[in-house]
Amino acid sequence: MATKDDRYAAAIFFNAVLPLVREIAERTPLKKAFANKSGVLQISATDEDKMWATHFVLEDGVFTTKLGAATDPDVELRFPNLAHFNAFFRGTTKKLPKIRGFTKLSLLVPFLRTLLKMQKLLGSDDIPADEETKELMTRLYFYLLSSGISQLNKQGHPAIVDWVKMSPNRIYAWSVDGHEDVAAHLRIQAGKSKAMRGPYTRSQPFFKMRFDRLTRRWRFCSEKAI
Amino acid sequence: MAGLSYTSINQTRMATGEVYCQTLIELAKENPRIVALTADLGKSSKIGEFMKQFPERFYQFGIAEQNMMGAAAGMAKAGTTHHSTEDIAIMRSLANLTVIVPADGIETANAVEAAVEHEGPVYIRINRGYDQQVYETMDYGYEIGRAVTLHEGSDVTIIACGSAVFQALQAARELDAVYQIKARVLDMHTIKPLDKAAVLKAVKDTRRIITAEDHTVIGGLGGAVAEVIAESGMATAFRRLGLQDKFSPIGLHEDLMAHHGIDTNGIVNSVRELMQLDFEEDLDWEDEV
Repeated sequence: MATKDDRYAAAIFFNAVLPLVREIAERTPLKKAFANKSGVLQISATDEDKMWATHFVLEDGVFTTKLGAATDPDVELRFPNLAHFNAFFRGTTKKLPKIRGFTKLSLLVPFLRTLLKMQKLLGSDDIPADEETKELMTRLYFYLLSSGISQLNKQGHPAIVDWVKMSPNRIYAWSVDGHEDVAAHLRIQAGKSKAMRGPYTRSQPFFKMRFDRLTRRWRFCSEKAI
Repeated sequence: MAGLSYTSINQTRMATGEVYCQTLIELAKENPRIVALTADLGKSSKIGEFMKQFPERFYQFGIAEQNMMGAAAGMAKAGTTHHSTEDIAIMRSLANLTVIVPADGIETANAVEAAVEHEGPVYIRINRGYDQQVYETMDYGYEIGRAVTLHEGSDVTIIACGSAVFQALQAARELDAVYQIKARVLDMHTIKPLDKAAVLKAVKDTRRIITAEDHTVIGGLGGAVAEVIAESGMATAFRRLGLQDKFSPIGLHEDLMAHHGIDTNGIVNSVRELMQLDFEEDLDWEDEV
């Protein structure tokens, strides 16, 4: 039986981390591997009677992310329980889930490569040499921050719930100077939360973490200060 | 009640003025609060009979109707009558007139100095008695038409003038300490010309505006700020605190501020209500993915 912590972790992986697949698939050379292809790609895990899932609808190489399960995915990584799912994405087990889609290798292979690329990027403390990867990693972390906090609120994490419940309508934002679209923000109000991508422009956010350059982000996420 | 039952026959025998006077006399026998005033019309209005019966409760003003109405209004209020709660609205509407409402004595001194140097007429509105002190020194950069930021904040902006400035400042401190709400406070000492740039910056920065004034909200500071916001086309959560289209009761200034919701508690409560407004109705709460 899944613990509360398993569920908090699963909520973050399914609803905040896995949606980053689209960013990697569309902003790296992997984009070529999905070009002109269509299908439904899914990752799922069983939690007692509930099924956790995130799927991607691919239409002519363009991704749409959907939280929840698709009825008949072309490719699927299916985990028997949340503990296995969490351990796999934390990298603490190499035991593979049940995989569906061997008849559609042109979708399965690039999908697995994308997942591995995401694991490598999010698991790395090293500052990439090229500007594109720096920008991508910063973007992923910003998206993860806003979505992760919002998901913890939605899953009932006590500390986050207490904070959000007491809050008036407020915006928390993250951005980098000179990279306008490398930004994310979080709206909270009286128990509700919403993670959003891109800059918040309608007014001055209540809180804004503004980095003067891309590499500054590492100062907060690792010891590799720049 | 004896004497108050007038039939159509009585009315044909008595002038309407006589009916009016007789009714008043009958009522005055039981109610000592009834008095009569006239402007040299005791005979024609038939109120002279009242004078005979209650000379100590009869007031002859001579040919001075306006004066009589003012005195009547004062008597009706049964106490202090000096509430100037519409003057800002009236003065604002006069062309070429600068309107200043200082927050305290120090700002009044600054306003007077600035008015002397200013080209054109200036109306300076000051309170009777003492004001709570907002400023420690005159050297804070007072300038006609330029609001003073007394407290920084990004959640909401309280724009105040006159004695409401001190209350707004106290409210901002309480909001921060108790509710962690960050309120900007602007001392909008000049109502005309209004510091539009400060208002628009507040709209952009905080998107929630509350005005506070010891004056009717119609045409005063609240009205002036509302005009700027409306003309800007920017969406804003907005409240005007002050007299809500009503006359003020009688009382101490502090009590009246509380009665009209422009004391510290009233402003705090209004800010808290405003903070809970959902001014983005189109918003759903699904995370973007």
